[in-house]
Amino acid sequence: MDFHTAAKYASLLSKDYAEDIFRLLVNYQAISASEVATRLNLHIKTAQDFLESLEGLGIVSKEEVLEKKRPYYRYVLKQTRLTIDIDLDQVKREPTQSSLSSHIREREGAGARFTVARNEDYITSVTIWTGKGRDMEERKIKLTTPQGRFLYHLPFPKAEPLTIDEIMQKAGIDESLAPEILDMVQLLEKYNVIESVPQV
Amino acid sequence: MSLVRKLKPDRNFTGVLVTLSILPIFGLTSLIFGISTGMYTLVGMVGLFGIYYLYGFIRTGNIAQLVICLYTAFFGYILFVAAGTGKESPFERIEFGLAYFLGLIFFGIVIIYLALTRKLKWRGREVFELAAEPIEDIGNGYTSRPRPVGKVDYSPQQMRSFARFCSRHLIALPYLTSKNVTLVPVKMGDEYGRLLGLSGDYRDATWVNFDVDGEVSVHIAQKDYLDYRQPLAFDQLCTSLGQVFIDFFGLYNKGEGVRAIDRMDELKIAFFS
Repeated sequence: MDFHTAAKYASLLSKDYAEDIFRLLVNYQAISASEVATRLNLHIKTAQDFLESLEGLGIVSKEEVLEKKRPYYRYVLKQTRLTIDIDLDQVKREPTQSSLSSHIREREGAGARFTVARNEDYITSVTIWTGKGRDMEERKIKLTTPQGRFLYHLPFPKAEPLTIDEIMQKAGIDESLAPEILDMVQLLEKYNVIESVPQV
Repeated sequence: MSLVRKLKPDRNFTGVLVTLSILPIFGLTSLIFGISTGMYTLVGMVGLFGIYYLYGFIRTGNIAQLVICLYTAFFGYILFVAAGTGKESPFERIEFGLAYFLGLIFFGIVIIYLALTRKLKWRGREVFELAAEPIEDIGNGYTSRPRPVGKVDYSPQQMRSFARFCSRHLIALPYLTSKNVTLVPVKMGDEYGRLLGLSGDYRDATWVNFDVDGEVSVHIAQKDYLDYRQPLAFDQLCTSLGQVFIDFFGLYNKGEGVRAIDRMDELKIAFFS
């Protein structure tokens, strides 16, 4: 299950009336939105939206019923066990050789403020300005110690750029920590603090 | 030795202003409360200067600071005696006149000697000029990040001894922690704020840091960088500033610390600058 689907599950399950609706679904062979709404004293739109969302996730199925009045849907529970299973490895950023060999340095005029640790050679946080004009806001990014050590050894603007791998070696950072370094590099690239310098 | 200055001319008036501020305060208190009260106010202000220089001596170990402290004590005592004589001029008493003029001659000669030999001078400008000397490239690239500039072999004891040397000769003000020796070069005029802790955290100033593992890193404050006439290549400037202190350390370690002083003296920067 991907994060997006899991978030939808979690959002539905967190509703106050979720357990009551599931109780009705599991005990009734089929039930309509208006029956749920009147049974639980909910607005029909609330019941309808909830059941439609369950249908979208494949937890219930719906069948159209035609009576004298206009057609409506009856919902039938398809499964009695819900499992949220997320594989976190799918969001892990595995470093590739190309990502580690990218040449980087601090961007000139980045306008970022770096806070240095008092007793160690690393940077504890970077403060940057985001937004434009009157919407500009200060944002402080706290760094892990390996990230701080990496940033401490990042080449200055206009200095000869180094590869991420070389900077990690200079800073004495273990290769296993590459994912968190790459994450920080990508973030600071996004905020124009770090620039990638293409090599000819 | 090149005498082409890379720093802008010194227009910092703070040091002189602090000293000169005594005069209008003395004048005003005399006008409002009478000459006697004015004299006592003057004694108080001279006393404050004395305490400042005593603290300067304790903090740096610079003997010249102690001499100024002794001079303010002498001058303050003379003023105190003079203030107590009322309308009668104290100079009519031969002992007072003798003590005053002999003291003035003694301290005058000593202080002029200290000034001419730059023993009273904070060497920040010399350090910055030396750092900029080999830099020819222009290109800005300022960042507030410190720069690791290399590694040296030394024991923490050697480093602390070098830090004492730097402070004794007013090359830099040292800040010692269990893991680091941080040297902050101070320019003339900035010494009051830096010594009294009014200039903010020393980590925001320009510094050269030696840690227990021998790593040397350099940070240059934007204010100091903007003091250069041209936007010198920042990367090289940081490396060069670190190298100045590494060289000084090397000389000091060989027992040739005086050569480091000579290098700064050769720049012939004015005493008050």
